[in-house]
Amino acid sequence: MISRTIKFVWKNKILEVNNPDPNETLLNFIRLKLKRTGTKEGCAEGGCGACTIVLAEENKNKLIYKAINSCIAFVPTLHGKQLILVEDLLDKNGSLHPVQKAMVDYHGSQCGFCTPGFVMSLFAMYKKNKSYNHDVISDSISGNLCRCTGYRPIIDAAKSLNNKKINDKFETYKKKTINLLKKIQSNTISINNGKKYYAPKNISELKEILNKNPNSKLLSGGTDLSLTVTKERKNLDSLIYLGGIKELNYIKKNNSFIEIGANTPLINVEEYIKKYYLDFNKILKRYGSVQIRNVATIAGNIATASPIGDTLPLLLSLDALIIIENNKTKKIVKLKDFFISYRKTKLKKKEFISSIKIPIYPKNIFKAYKISKRFDDDISSVCASFNFEIKNKKIKNVKIAFGGMSAIPKRAKYCEKTLKNKEFSNKILDKAKESLLRDFEPISDMRASKEYRIEIAKNLLTKFFAEIQNKNRIELKN
Amino acid sequence: MRKNIYINENRPHESAEKHVTGYAQYTDDIAEPHGTIFGAIGWSKNANAIIKKIDLSKVWASEGVISVVTHKDIKGRNDVGPVFDGDPIFPPKKVEYYGQPLFAVAATTTELARKAVLKAKVKYKNLKPIITIKEALKKKSFILKGVKVQRGDPDKKIKKSKNYLKGNFTTGSQEHFYLEGQVAFSIPKEDNDLLIYSSTQHPSETQQIIAKMLNQKSNTITVLVRRIGGGFGGKETNFLTSSICALLAHKTKRPVKLRLDRDDDIIITGKRHDFYSEYEVGFNKLGVIEGLNIKLASRCGMSPDLSGAINGRALLHIDNAYYLSNVKIKNYLCKTNTVSATAFRGFGGNQGMMVIENIIDNISRYLNKDPYEIRRRNFYQKNKKNVTHYGMKIEDNVIQEIFNKLVKKSNYKKRYSKIKKFNFKNKYLKKGIAITPVKFGISFTTTHLNQAGALVHIYTDGSIYLNHGGIEMGQGTNTKIAQLVANEFGISFEKVKISSTNTSKVPNTSASAASSTTDLNGAAALNAVSKIKKNLENFIMKKYKIKSKKVKYENGFIKFNNRMFNFKKIIKEAYLNRISLSSSGFYSTPKIHFDKETFTGRPFLYFCYGAAVTEVTIDTLTGENKIDRVDIIHDAGKAINPALEMGQIEGGFVQGQGWLTIEEVNWKSNGQITTFSPSTYKIPAVSDVPKIFNVEIFKRGRNTENVVNKAKTTGEPPLMLAMSVFFAIKDAIASVGKYKLIPKIDGPATSEKILMSLKDLKSRINYN
Repeated sequence: MISRTIKFVWKNKILEVNNPDPNETLLNFIRLKLKRTGTKEGCAEGGCGACTIVLAEENKNKLIYKAINSCIAFVPTLHGKQLILVEDLLDKNGSLHPVQKAMVDYHGSQCGFCTPGFVMSLFAMYKKNKSYNHDVISDSISGNLCRCTGYRPIIDAAKSLNNKKINDKFETYKKKTINLLKKIQSNTISINNGKKYYAPKNISELKEILNKNPNSKLLSGGTDLSLTVTKERKNLDSLIYLGGIKELNYIKKNNSFIEIGANTPLINVEEYIKKYYLDFNKILKRYGSVQIRNVATIAGNIATASPIGDTLPLLLSLDALIIIENNKTKKIVKLKDFFISYRKTKLKKKEFISSIKIPIYPKNIFKAYKISKRFDDDISSVCASFNFEIKNKKIKNVKIAFGGMSAIPKRAKYCEKTLKNKEFSNKILDKAKESLLRDFEPISDMRASKEYRIEIAKNLLTKFFAEIQNKNRIELKN
Repeated sequence: MRKNIYINENRPHESAEKHVTGYAQYTDDIAEPHGTIFGAIGWSKNANAIIKKIDLSKVWASEGVISVVTHKDIKGRNDVGPVFDGDPIFPPKKVEYYGQPLFAVAATTTELARKAVLKAKVKYKNLKPIITIKEALKKKSFILKGVKVQRGDPDKKIKKSKNYLKGNFTTGSQEHFYLEGQVAFSIPKEDNDLLIYSSTQHPSETQQIIAKMLNQKSNTITVLVRRIGGGFGGKETNFLTSSICALLAHKTKRPVKLRLDRDDDIIITGKRHDFYSEYEVGFNKLGVIEGLNIKLASRCGMSPDLSGAINGRALLHIDNAYYLSNVKIKNYLCKTNTVSATAFRGFGGNQGMMVIENIIDNISRYLNKDPYEIRRRNFYQKNKKNVTHYGMKIEDNVIQEIFNKLVKKSNYKKRYSKIKKFNFKNKYLKKGIAITPVKFGISFTTTHLNQAGALVHIYTDGSIYLNHGGIEMGQGTNTKIAQLVANEFGISFEKVKISSTNTSKVPNTSASAASSTTDLNGAAALNAVSKIKKNLENFIMKKYKIKSKKVKYENGFIKFNNRMFNFKKIIKEAYLNRISLSSSGFYSTPKIHFDKETFTGRPFLYFCYGAAVTEVTIDTLTGENKIDRVDIIHDAGKAINPALEMGQIEGGFVQGQGWLTIEEVNWKSNGQITTFSPSTYKIPAVSDVPKIFNVEIFKRGRNTENVVNKAKTTGEPPLMLAMSVFFAIKDAIASVGKYKLIPKIDGPATSEKILMSLKDLKSRINYN
C-alpha cells in the first residue's frame, strides 16, 4: 500500500497527517501544530538537546524507546512510531513521572529551559536500562546542555532512579501501544506536494524509487542533511527515507568480516563491535550524543564524507569495504578509494550504499584516538586510527588513518611505508612521526591550528607506541 | 518544629514542577493572538564598512513577507545604548561589526521570515577592521578614556624590591549560551501602546529604550517577564531584539514574535570582554608583593555599552583577596570591529582577579614555593592591611578562615606531595593542584542603581500576590523572596502567588544583575510586607483593645501574647473595616558611595568570600585534561534556601571552568566570528563535571551588613572559584619543568594551549 498520509501514535491514539511538508521539522510540528510548547528549540542543529523527545518503535513485540533531537527530524519520519513528549509523562491524575519527580527533588532545574530535554533523555534511559551507573547516566545526557546547574544535581537525580523503578503508565499501556503501532507500520509513504518524500519498505522499492528520482537525497538519521533546511534555510526538494527498510538494518558476521547494513543506527553498532574493536566502541560513544547515535548511521557518515567524520579514519585503517548498489548492479569499493575531495565521493546518481564490511584482524592491534575541545559530543580536531600487525617485534602490516588532517579522511601512506617491515621500536617511531609531515598538510580553523594538529598527530603515534610497549592505556579517567 | 518556617529551607524552585512537565511558559511559548506575524533580522556581513546601498526588493517579494523595517522607520532614538550612544538599532551609514543588524522582516512564519532576510543585496565600501586588542592598542583605538588608579609609589618600590618579574597575560571572551535565546513578543494595544513580553534581565530599560525609539512616553510601553531561560548578563542590555520586535509591531499594527536563531543570537549579540594585561611586580623573598604596575586592556567591541562599568569592576577586583600596598593600574578600553562586549557573570571582576592570581602564581614558581603559601602571605589582614587600593576598609574579611578550613578539609598538602610522586612516576600523564581564593564586592558600582521596588497585595481570601522588580532567570529569586514573604506572614508558601515582573506594577527597576536581585528586591518586598503588617496590627489592636505591641505571625495565625487571630479570617475582617491590604515597598542600599573621578569610596555594601581546591590531570601528549576533584567552601551568609545557593555555587563553578578551559570565541582577521553554534562553540557538558565535587556552604557565614536574612548572594562569586582549575592545569604543566620554570599559558587553557605551553616549556628546559 502506498500512502501519502503518515500515521503515528500519540497519547494512545493513532494520529494522521495528510501530505505533510517533508521539510517541516518535528519540533515545529510539535510546537506549532500540536501546540505543545514544553519541547524547546535551543540550537536547531541537534547540538543542545533542548528539543529532545522520545520515539517508541515496535520490534518483535517489544517497545524500543529512543531519545532523538526533534529539531533535526522531519515530520514524515514519524510514521509508524509512538511520539512521547514531556507533557505526556504526567500521569492521568496529574502526578509526576518518577523521572520528573527526581529532577524536582534533586533541584535538577534552575532556569528550566533545558529541563524538558533532560527529562526526556532520562526517561529514555529509565525505559531502556535496568540500573543506572555513572557511565550510563553520563552517556544518556551527554547531548543535553545545561548552562545553569553544572549537571551535578541532574546526575544525582538520575542516580536516585535506581531505587524507584515502577510500572509507569507506558508499561501499563504497552500492549495497547504495540497493537496500535502494528496497525500503522505497513504503508509505503509517498508524498508529493511540491516537495517529494518517499519512504520505501524494502530494497526493491528503494531501487525503483531511486531510479525514477535520481536527484533525490537519501535520508537516514538526517543529522547532517537536515541542517540544509534548519541552518542554510534551503529546501530539500526530494527525499528518500531509508529508515523504514528493515532489510538495511542488520549486523552480521562471518570469519573474516563484520557486515553492517546501511541503515543500522550507530548505537547498535557500538555494542556489537565492542568485543572486536574496543576502541571503535569508545570512539562511537563519543561520535555524538545518544540522540544522534540513535538515528545516525555509518553509511550516512561515509556518504557525507566529512573530513572529520569520526568513523571514517577507523574504517580506513581497518580497510573497510562498502557495498554500493543501483537497480541493476552491486559493487564493492574499498573505502580508501571512495573519497575524492572535500565532501565528494564516488557515489553516483541512482546508487546507494547498502552495507559496510569491516574486516576482522584477529592478530592485529587496533587503537583509535579522538582529540576534541570537549569530551562529549564534539567534533574532532584530530582523530587517529592505528591497525598494526606485529610479529616477533616486527611490523608486518600497518594501516594508519587520520581525520581532521586534510580535506578528506585519509590513510597516512608515507608513514605506513616508513613503518612497514621495520622493527617495532622508538627508533622507527621518530622517523614515522616525521613522515606524517609528508602525508598531511592540515589547516587552521576554529577547532585547532595546523601546528597543533601536526603536533597531536605525531604525539598520538608516540602514544600508540608507548601504550603497546607499556601494555596499558595512557588515558584520562572518566 | 513549627510549621510555615521557610528560612533556611531546601525548598525546590517555585517553578520546578512546571519545568519538568514542560508547562513553564517562556516568551516563545505564549499563545499568539490571531494575526500574529513573525520576525527575523538581516545583518551585516562586514565588520567595518560604509553602506553604499541596501536593496530589499527581493526581501519584500519573498514568500509570506508582510513588512520590512529599516533605520528609516525609526522616528525616535535609533540607539539601544544603555549609558552612552553607540548601539544603533539599524546603522544608517556604517556597519561596525560582522553581524550588526541592518533591517528586519515580519512574515507569516518564522521560517519564511528567516528565508526572506537572506535575499537582501547590500553593497559596502570596505574599510580595514580592527579586531584584536593589540591592534587597537597600537592604533590607539579606544571606546572610552581609561582610568588610572594609583596607591603609593609602585615604581620606586619595584626598583627597591629584591625580586622582580614582568610578563603579560590574556583571558578570553565567552559566549553566554543561555539555553533560551533572545526573544520578544510585542502586542499593539490602543493609543499606540505596546505590551511587550521579552526575555530580558532589564524590563524597565527595555521599556524606556522602546519608548524613545518610537518617540512615545514610557507610560505607553508595558514590559512583562515571567521567567527567562538563563541570562548570565547576556540579557542585561541587549535591547536589539525587543526594540526591533516592537518596531515591527508598531509598523504593522499586528502582534509580532521575534526569536533569534541560535547562530544569529551568537553572531548579533555581545559576549564577555577579553582582557590583555602587562605587569611588572616587585616582591620580597617571602613572596609578598611590594610594588605592582599593571596595564589592563580589554576588547570592548564597537560601542561603549557597559564597558566602562565592566572595566571599573576589573580595576576594583585586581586585588582579589590581596593587599596591594603600592599599585598602579592603567586601563585601556579598546574599540574593535567586533560585537560590543557586554555584561557576563563576574562583570570584569573575574578578569581582574585572574590577572593578580596569575602574578601570584608566577611569583610562587619564581621562588619555588607552594603557591598556597604565597597567596596566604599576601592576604588582606583583619586589623591592618585592610584598606583596598580604592580606599574601602574591609570589615567582613573571612578569607583566612575559609582558606585554612579548606586546606585542612581537602587535605591539600598531603595530596600535593602525592601528586608530585605521581608526576615523578608517570611520563605522559601529569597532575596538578591549586587553591585559589575569591573576594567579590556586592552592589552595583553605579550607586543609583542600588534601589528596588515591590508590590504586595493580600486578597480577601488571605491569598497573597507578590510582585517585585527582579527577574527570575533560574537563580531562584522568586522562590527566595516568596519564602521571605510567607515567613513574615507566617502562612504557607503556597498562599503566595509569584507573578511576572511587570513595568506597570513596579516602575523604574534596575537590571537583575550584579548578584543583587534578591538582596534588593527581597528587602523591598519585606518593606511592603511591613507596611501591610502595620495596618493589620493597628487595626487588630484598636478593635480588640490590645495594648501589647508584641506580635508573632505563625502557622496561619497572628498572635498577640494570649490572643490569636486566624490570618484568613482577620484579613476578611480587616477588609470589611476598610483597612488597606496592599502596599508597595522600596529599598535603597545604605552606606555605599563612590567617586569615579578619584576612584575612591565604598562601592560595595559587603564582600562575598570563597575558596576552591582543584586537582587535574593533563595528558602531555595531547593537552587533554580532566578535573579529578574539586573542594569548595563558599560563604553564602545565612542562606535563605541552601539548596538553591548550592545550585548557584556548582553552576557558577562549571561556567567559570568553561570560560577558563574549553570555551573559545574565535574571530577571523576580517572580523567574522567562526564559533557561533554548539558545534563550534563548546560549553561544558556532563563529562566535564568534576567527578568528586565537594561543595560546602561556609557554616559560620553571616552577612555583617543589614541584608535580608543576613544572607550573602551567590550570583556571580562562585564563577571565580573556577580560577583554581586554570592554576591546577598550570601546576601540572610546571611539573614537566620540575617546578623550576614558569609556564606561559593564557586563558582559556584548551588542549591546544596546554600542549603549546608544554612545548614552550620543554624548549626552555633544553636551552637553560
